[in-house]
Amino acid sequence: MLAEQKLKVFLGLISDSSNDEIIWMNGYLNGIVSKQNTHQAPGVAKNGVNKITIAYGTETGNSKKLATEFAAKAKKRGIHARVQSMDQYRLNDLTKEEYFLAVISTHGDGEPPAAAKKFYEHVHQNGFKLDKLKYSVLALGDTSYPLFCKAGEDVDEQLTKLGGKRFYPIQKCDVDFSTEAEQWFDEICKALSDNAEVPSVVNPKIIAKKSSGKKIHTGKLIAHINLNDRGSNKETYHIEIDAEDVTYQPGDSIGIVPENNLVLVEEIISRTGIDETTNVDYKDELVSLYTLLHKNLNITYLPERVVRQYAAIVEQDVVIQRIDLLDLLKIYPVKDPNQFTEVVKILEPTAPRLYSIASSPEAHPDEIHITIAKNSFIINNKIEYGLASAFLSHFDVDKPLQFYVHPNNQFRLPEEDKNIIMIGPGTGIAPFRSFIAERDATGASGKNWLFFGEQHFITDFLYQSEIQNWFDTGVLTKVSTAFSRDQPEKIYVQDKMLQHGKEFFEWLHTGSYVYVCGTKDPMSIDVEQTLLQIIEQFGERSKEDAEKYLDDLKENGRYIKDVY
Amino acid sequence: MQENLSSTEKIKTASDGLRGTIQESLQDELTGAIREDDQSVIKFHGIYQQDDRDRREERAEKKLERLFSFMIRLRLPGGFLTSDQWIAAHNIAGENSTGVIKITTRQTIQLHGLYKSKLKPTIKEFNKAHLDSIATCGDINRNVMCTAHPKQSAIHEEIFSYADKISRMLMPKTRAYYEIWLDEEKILDKKDEEDPLYQDRYMPRKFKIGIAIPPNNDVDVFTNDIGLVAMIDNNKLLGFNIAIGGGLSTTHGNAQTYARLGTVIGFTDTEEKTLKAIYEILTVQRDFGDRSDRKIARLKYTVDRLGVATFKEEVEKRLDFKLGEARPFAFNARTDYYGWYQNDSRQWYYTPFVENGRILDDEQVALKSALLTIAKTGKVNFRFTGNQNIIISDVAPEDKDLVNSILHEFKIIDHTDRATAIRKNSMACVALPTCPLALAEAQRYMPSLLTQIELLLKKNELSDEDIIIRMTGCPNGCARSYNAEIGFVGTAMGKYNLHLGGDHEGLRLNRIYKESLDEAAILYELDNWFSLFKNERNENERFGDYSFRKLFKQIN
Repeated sequence: MLAEQKLKVFLGLISDSSNDEIIWMNGYLNGIVSKQNTHQAPGVAKNGVNKITIAYGTETGNSKKLATEFAAKAKKRGIHARVQSMDQYRLNDLTKEEYFLAVISTHGDGEPPAAAKKFYEHVHQNGFKLDKLKYSVLALGDTSYPLFCKAGEDVDEQLTKLGGKRFYPIQKCDVDFSTEAEQWFDEICKALSDNAEVPSVVNPKIIAKKSSGKKIHTGKLIAHINLNDRGSNKETYHIEIDAEDVTYQPGDSIGIVPENNLVLVEEIISRTGIDETTNVDYKDELVSLYTLLHKNLNITYLPERVVRQYAAIVEQDVVIQRIDLLDLLKIYPVKDPNQFTEVVKILEPTAPRLYSIASSPEAHPDEIHITIAKNSFIINNKIEYGLASAFLSHFDVDKPLQFYVHPNNQFRLPEEDKNIIMIGPGTGIAPFRSFIAERDATGASGKNWLFFGEQHFITDFLYQSEIQNWFDTGVLTKVSTAFSRDQPEKIYVQDKMLQHGKEFFEWLHTGSYVYVCGTKDPMSIDVEQTLLQIIEQFGERSKEDAEKYLDDLKENGRYIKDVY
Repeated sequence: MQENLSSTEKIKTASDGLRGTIQESLQDELTGAIREDDQSVIKFHGIYQQDDRDRREERAEKKLERLFSFMIRLRLPGGFLTSDQWIAAHNIAGENSTGVIKITTRQTIQLHGLYKSKLKPTIKEFNKAHLDSIATCGDINRNVMCTAHPKQSAIHEEIFSYADKISRMLMPKTRAYYEIWLDEEKILDKKDEEDPLYQDRYMPRKFKIGIAIPPNNDVDVFTNDIGLVAMIDNNKLLGFNIAIGGGLSTTHGNAQTYARLGTVIGFTDTEEKTLKAIYEILTVQRDFGDRSDRKIARLKYTVDRLGVATFKEEVEKRLDFKLGEARPFAFNARTDYYGWYQNDSRQWYYTPFVENGRILDDEQVALKSALLTIAKTGKVNFRFTGNQNIIISDVAPEDKDLVNSILHEFKIIDHTDRATAIRKNSMACVALPTCPLALAEAQRYMPSLLTQIELLLKKNELSDEDIIIRMTGCPNGCARSYNAEIGFVGTAMGKYNLHLGGDHEGLRLNRIYKESLDEAAILYELDNWFSLFKNERNENERFGDYSFRKLFKQIN
């Protein structure tokens, strides 16, 4: 394989090295190989910079428009550009940026747009260094104001102060900005391809560590947002978890073991009179009673089998039905703390809840996002919330959260040039956010069609601004939405599929993959019925042939569901 | 002629008769907004895209786009609605918008907060009531104003009818409105909508026309691009003095912009001549107005650039007659006649107090319900004034008791009688949270500021003094604050330029007295001024004249 000269150098190097050095080299080479393998996206400039971030601060939409135009342009040149509004931009990411373009306008008395205020203030702070950052600023303004383009100038200046390198000088534009802005970006593109850097050395740490079994990770919650607007019937939370070194793929889920309500735990402890620091031997592990009750064991809505065992321990005539532990203790009290210890041992571990990951390893490095609905249901005329969703919807930012990655190898993106149709109403959107972000970040060439549905357009369009960005930059080829309660007759995703039936079948017939995520009943059933109808009607097939057609799709892994 | 056309000019000419891509924008499922270019085009259909600026930050955090909604403004020449039309507007507002009916400073009404999906149903419903919103915004002739109260003259009706005639003459010829909103079939031959007046470029900027019947200048006639002053002798209409080049909007920090009152250039004595003169003033502005910089595009700048004499010459060149010599006239007020009044033909009129033109049921008074109840009697019409008020109109003598009893029942009479003089002379524009131009609050803030000012007036024994006081949230001047005795022009949140020295009759603009004052500073200044005014005023001297004498007369 190696030419003679190279082989000689290589062997010489090895014979000169210690065992530790050889192990290090092995890791280093592995790192290079694995890095190369993940960078197969075609059309990517081989020698220049191929990844930039464009952040815009806009009041009237001009900066946004420019930023998205730039991104589209960059894409054509094989440069992947992540476009983000400054109010969506996570400020901590700035220290990780390499090539960064800011497009920002100035308003009133030299002020930044409201949407850029936090960003603007952030770069005016000290205490962090932007030594990786190479940047340039495009400032929009109006020469009829005394402080022309002041906000842009400030950002430009501050980024240098923070250690950033200005790789191309600031361009200030008046109200007729288009020519200058375009020139600026063309120059930027030139600079990016000329300044082609030798790819930075691959960090040996990159070698993937295979986790054995279920590896429990602890990550801090870094964002926690109710995506529904005021006045909605829904509460859907977007949760971001700081998750360095956690490996996952788009389509995977995470499992979370929800903690029990502390008020409940304390009432149980005081009622039984037990010392909460008592260590209990639970399945061959000594754990404090408090921890068990708070974090590990299910204490609500106990299954009948547990109630039966409880009856045996307390030796009382217990009615066998599903019931909360606290209620059991109230009606059929334990004799003493020791007896309660016995009860604890028969309690079952809390079942983890699985949530589709809504982030992409490429687009959101070192983070995991999930999308959860706060489920409510009615038991005995009381509104109860799902344990996990109630737990998470009240979770504080900065608190550590335990989770594990649950791989879902069925639910994977196809090859990068394949077209996909994603049907994800409600929280079913989660894995598709991951898919789209991943395809965006890797520059996949396949077309993407998203179906989304909820109750109301104004309040319930989950991830609307991101979806709009992806549509504007061309990652999403088509988006069809169904808001069921915005008009007298209810409209659902399956109605939108049928409305676009002809085009839907064309996509199907030319090899598209179809993904469905969300509630099993009735959504996924209705969607499947409609799918059959579309194949029958627009594919001009008999009912049986349509069923066969769908079966073939399933067989070939082109019709994939993740429903719950 | 001008090479460097502004982007709006390009949008207009490329809009295919004001169609743009509005249809496509309406069908876009991804956004509650319409495409950027369409936002310019849709103004010509009487619609503005706005967003709730109070909600921007929170919605951005929720990854939702801005809370876009639309404002729609009706075309009501001279400000007139039948009771059936009022009922229709009431119902449409309730179903499709925030429910508040806002009377504008140009005698029409507008609804706010319509989501994109509600636009078409709204226009269809208005159309059923024979109402439209054509050309109430955009670079085109806007709603034509006319002195509102029929008691102003025995021949009010005759003069009022000019508002409609002018409006019709200056309507765009395109069928776009009917195609887009009312599903009219697309016209095949574009020749059918050829527009000799607007061509494909429309006016360089908005264009406003008002008609006043002296001695009441309730329409602020000289703030219009064209102001007509009716000349009446012995209940006979002699004709109109024509003033050109009024306009208030300015831009902070742009010294090229300024407020200007109209200049009287002549007189016309027949309907035909009056309409022709108006038409040709528009064509001269169409051809000579600045189309590269929208900030200096209005008629007032064209008139000053060419010179009044040259402008008039150009107009007369296009007419087959010369304008007559202007007649003498005098104004003594700019007022609405609150309460009951009768006109010459013995019909009755009641004007209630409507704070900032907002018609709604609030904790103080159920004005909206009262007006609906009155409309349902079918015995009245409604008129709107340039001071954002409503006049319950044309009540026959035998129906007055019925209407009056409803007004009593809803405590409207009490509410109107209790409103102070300063409040009745006040106006404020919409501003935050929906107006994209607003730098400061206006209609949401003015009522509470007035409560403070009322205390100062009381302290200085000036509670009954009629002082015209107006607030706008930006220098655009929708509420005509430059033409008030006390004017507030927003510069930033909670900060206003204080303008003083405007006269009471609307013939002299005020000037900036102090810049960017907060509430405490405003109240401090006004307290001083009121106390000086009380002690130093001449007999019957108005506050505006007093402050002008003290501040500006010497340096003039």
